[in-house]
Amino acid sequence: MGTLNIASEQGLAERFDSTIGARTVLMPFGGKYQKTPVEGMVAKIPVEHGNTTTASIFTHGYDPDLAIWSPFHGALYAVIQSIAKLVALGGDRKKVYLTMQEFFQSLGTNEKAWGQPVSALLGAFVAQQVMEVAAIGGKDSMSGTFENLTVPPTLVSFAIAPEHTNHIISPEFKAADDAVLLFDLPRDAEEMPDFDTFKAHCDFLHQAVLDGKIKAMHAVGQGGIAAAVAQMAFGNGIGFAVDASFATQELFNLRYGSILVETDAATAAEWVKRAHVSLVGKTTAAADVTVDGVTISLKDLQDAWEKPLSHVFPIKSESGTGDAELPLFTTYGPRRSEAFGTPRVFIPVCPGTNCEYDSAAAFERAGATTDVMVLRNNTPQDLAESIDEMAKRIAKAQIIMFPGGFSAGDEPEGSGKFIATLFRNPVLSEALENLLYQRDGLALGICNGFQALIKLGLLPYGHVQPLKADSPTLTYNTIGRHLSRMVETKVVSVMSPWFSSCKAGDVHTVAISHGEGRFVATPEQIRELAAKGQIATQYVDLSGKATYDSEYNPNQSVLAVEGITSPMAVSWARWRTPNASAPKTSSRTSLATNSS
Amino acid sequence: MQSIRRLYVAKNGVFADEAKRLLTDLQENLLIKGLTDIHIYHRYDVSGLDDAAFEAAKNMIFSEPPVDAVYDELPVGKDDTVLAVEYLPGQYDQRADSAMQCLQMLTMKNDSLVRTAQVLVLSGSLSADDVAAIKHYCINPVEAREASLDPVSTLEMPWEKPADVPVIDGFDAMDDAALKELSAHMGLAMSFDDLKFVQTYFRDEEKRNPTVTEIRVIDTYWSDHCRHTTFMTELTDVSFENGTFTAPIQRAYESYKTTRENLNRKKPQTLMDMATIAVKELKAAGKLDNLDESEEINACTIIIPVDVDGVEEEWLLLFKNETHNHPTEIEPFGGAATCLGGCIRDPLSGRSYVYQAMRVTGAGDPRQSVKDTLVGKLPQRKLTTGAAKGYSSYGNQIGLATGEVKEYYNPGFIAKRMEIGAVLGAAPRNNVVREEPLPGDIIILLGGKTGRDGCGGATGSSKKHTVESLETCGAEVQKGNALTERKIQRLFRRHEVTVLIKRCNDFGAGGVSVAIGELTDGLDINLDKVPKKYEGLDGTELAISESQERMAVVVAPEHVDEFMKYAAEENLEATIVAVATDTKRLVMHWRDQNVVNITRAFLDTNGVTQHRKAVVVAPEDKDFFKLRKSKTSPRPGSIPWVP
Repeated sequence: MGTLNIASEQGLAERFDSTIGARTVLMPFGGKYQKTPVEGMVAKIPVEHGNTTTASIFTHGYDPDLAIWSPFHGALYAVIQSIAKLVALGGDRKKVYLTMQEFFQSLGTNEKAWGQPVSALLGAFVAQQVMEVAAIGGKDSMSGTFENLTVPPTLVSFAIAPEHTNHIISPEFKAADDAVLLFDLPRDAEEMPDFDTFKAHCDFLHQAVLDGKIKAMHAVGQGGIAAAVAQMAFGNGIGFAVDASFATQELFNLRYGSILVETDAATAAEWVKRAHVSLVGKTTAAADVTVDGVTISLKDLQDAWEKPLSHVFPIKSESGTGDAELPLFTTYGPRRSEAFGTPRVFIPVCPGTNCEYDSAAAFERAGATTDVMVLRNNTPQDLAESIDEMAKRIAKAQIIMFPGGFSAGDEPEGSGKFIATLFRNPVLSEALENLLYQRDGLALGICNGFQALIKLGLLPYGHVQPLKADSPTLTYNTIGRHLSRMVETKVVSVMSPWFSSCKAGDVHTVAISHGEGRFVATPEQIRELAAKGQIATQYVDLSGKATYDSEYNPNQSVLAVEGITSPMAVSWARWRTPNASAPKTSSRTSLATNSS
Repeated sequence: MQSIRRLYVAKNGVFADEAKRLLTDLQENLLIKGLTDIHIYHRYDVSGLDDAAFEAAKNMIFSEPPVDAVYDELPVGKDDTVLAVEYLPGQYDQRADSAMQCLQMLTMKNDSLVRTAQVLVLSGSLSADDVAAIKHYCINPVEAREASLDPVSTLEMPWEKPADVPVIDGFDAMDDAALKELSAHMGLAMSFDDLKFVQTYFRDEEKRNPTVTEIRVIDTYWSDHCRHTTFMTELTDVSFENGTFTAPIQRAYESYKTTRENLNRKKPQTLMDMATIAVKELKAAGKLDNLDESEEINACTIIIPVDVDGVEEEWLLLFKNETHNHPTEIEPFGGAATCLGGCIRDPLSGRSYVYQAMRVTGAGDPRQSVKDTLVGKLPQRKLTTGAAKGYSSYGNQIGLATGEVKEYYNPGFIAKRMEIGAVLGAAPRNNVVREEPLPGDIIILLGGKTGRDGCGGATGSSKKHTVESLETCGAEVQKGNALTERKIQRLFRRHEVTVLIKRCNDFGAGGVSVAIGELTDGLDINLDKVPKKYEGLDGTELAISESQERMAVVVAPEHVDEFMKYAAEENLEATIVAVATDTKRLVMHWRDQNVVNITRAFLDTNGVTQHRKAVVVAPEDKDFFKLRKSKTSPRPGSIPWVP
């Protein structure tokens, strides 16, 4: 687990936003602890209106060491591995298309150098021909030489197939006392795979997915079965015991194209009768791994796995200390308005805004009408016209919603400045004030919108005003990078009308994605905000307790503050909205994040 | 004379995490023992503001009072070392650009200019070698330089009126030696045989000497990047060393040749043929019926049924992978950012909405000590962290979910980093109209402006990397502008817009010459219309400079106004730059000069076919798939789970 190519890359991966667009079916790390790497990606097709059950599965296969040993076998198994991963996610190999990426040394006139891409392409050709899958695209880069150094003779295979979202399988173990089977891909003396067995396994497993028989799957990659099993175990802290009948040495060999499957014991008893299917062991309630009488805790394994890259790509920042729990503020605020028809939500789009589609869809699902407007600022005249039009459209709305994104790229050096500067324009400040305090309107800011509301002074003060040196603000996460993952948040105040259908104490699992999400305020301000019920939501651990533990309060916000409201509670800002559709399985991996 | 004000902004004590991280980085990775503290100041030079606006901007735009302090003078102790770093002139600076957009909202005028620099104040006892090492570590000369600490007198980019594009006199009569000298002098990527072929064309067909622009355009068109020169090279002989593991390779080659015979293929054996023959075979067997093929080359496309609220619709699913190995190797942030940007543009130009990305990379061991870095290379740690920052910054800004990030480590990648982006896009099939352009159709350029930073991307990335690359590739580095590409994404998600587009091409490598040049056979391009980032670009630069966030679209003349209106609604610049003609010639005007006028037929030859032989080496005779015993050999009585 501690070798470089098997080591956890979570600290690298979590700086990439994995939920924007609200299409994500599988998060990059599965399980309630978000620790099982998902080898591939699954997203719903981006239909603009309505919902879809059609998703794309996209995977890749590659092993640089294998490619160096034999570019032919490297390419052939790259194709096989990309298909195996796709099948392990629930896909159908018969619907697969491929695209290839080649990266080789500069060939010049060196005949042996030319032999490398020839060899690799022939390997990919054989795999395509036998598997009846087509690489319908590819790119080549033939300049991987520096002085006398050359890159590995690289062919990366990418596989894609559409699939129904109900058939998607995540790789983390789901329950104790399940059987884990190996659907093995045997090789001959030339290290050529038994293609017929591979096809049979793929087809059998896909049918089993359709029949709902499979709980988790993982294609065996670098590190062999051992690494795969450990990674499957980390996500939910479910342990594993290797069966006495399984040869220990076999745990560590490479076996591209083989797939590990978690299923119930009764089903497993039937399936092991198939050719090249064997029992590897069973899942256990105890969070450790047992092989040949030796037991190692999952924690030790995970520490070893997370260590190699921890200084290059830190996974966690240091946790603050102190008690973050707040008493619940359970008094609902006054109802602010008489009934009117469908509420109209105005959503401004600035350069860099990127959550407007998701936000509008969420409001529309909740029954609102949305009015999305793009700010035009190519010339001062465009800008003036645009501001006037914006003011007019705000005047027709009951809600203004500032969506997420990176307005002006979070520049100059700080997020939300662009939107804040825009709404400090007297025409727009007045429109905002008028909406909130003359017409009983509401404001909401999420993500970049949160930052904008804070930087306008609208939060926590309730009005647009200059920032002071001691104003609460949002600044860079202590880990020094963007953070994208799921967090637990608890509603701790229901004073705002935004929470009229929540109960104080409700916990939601939501996606966060931000580089500047750390809420800071002085102890006096925090006390005052809490006393007035303005702290709306907090980061909590899996037991529902507000915390400074950076596993659960990843940006290290003061008092675990995740969302706040204004004194009159008309403005509310937070990170991403709770998930609108229920998780398909008990694992967090399967949250269809309708984050907005 | 304009008044230029300067201010410095720094994070207050507890918020100065970036400075703390840099201090640790320099102490631990660069082993600068005498360094005790670092302060980072963002320096802004600002013109065009009156006193009131400047004061307002200080706390609204340039700083945030809760976390920042603003200084008029740089606070420096007497023993401190000051190092100021700025982008090379012409490099896109998002910080300055955003500041100017904010200032425009403050003043409702667009006459203020901003230039930025980062100033490091280093405390402690530093030797001259320490300072040199820090400079070397913190300044990548392909994108940045040490900035002067003196006040500046202007923020305008100095520029000179460019001279006319020269004609290469005597080209038609050059002998081999003279041609070779010309090729070396111009740094051409094309082969010598190609250049001779060009000479023949101009001498015999055009009966004139070429312009410099024409040579550059042809060099770009035929580059490995744009035309896969290596993949199109004819393999005249393929042989195999003997061995257990070469036997299946040899059989694969026989099978390839049989497939060629079955398909009756007469084209020469090439890498491209080997890469694509499986598709041809499967297609011939009728097994690829949901493939979407067209004259347009945007991305791989298949037709899939999509359920929308229970109703099945026909959609196009597009996918595309791309590398930016060379740009990322020399400037990791910008190279990786534009890897993703460029990758998105392909399915985007196919009028699909790009919704997910994967990133697959290859690096040397990032834990390797910085001092062991090869001369002419950036440290692996810097490469991998910088590239991660660049790619994620672009994806996060444009709002594209990155679903899988995987980095492979192998010492071979010290030769050159591997930076692959792969993206997925989709669109309702009825959004995508594909029509043959007609004479008189209008070509509209959409999105970003052209600068000098995009010159030579296609030819440069196809060249071998040598020790000198870091010093001389300055013009090949680009910064991405995700915000502009996002606007194009919004525009191309609109059905009423995409149905106006007959054909579309993105501005990847090759700039106007390739992006517009590929749209149809006959084109008349007016380079004077191409929007520029700054003045002083000549005809050649306008023709070949690639840029990250531009598209060229073909629309019928009667649809131009409507298309322009939609672009304006999305805050996008759109400019008519060319018209389709019936001449089958690629023509470009600049000022009153015809800088390019060549036939399509000649361009389409893709130069002279090269010939090579290949020898497949036998893989080492060992059991590769068994547990490798090198580092992870199990201790007796234990198992190798934990090292």
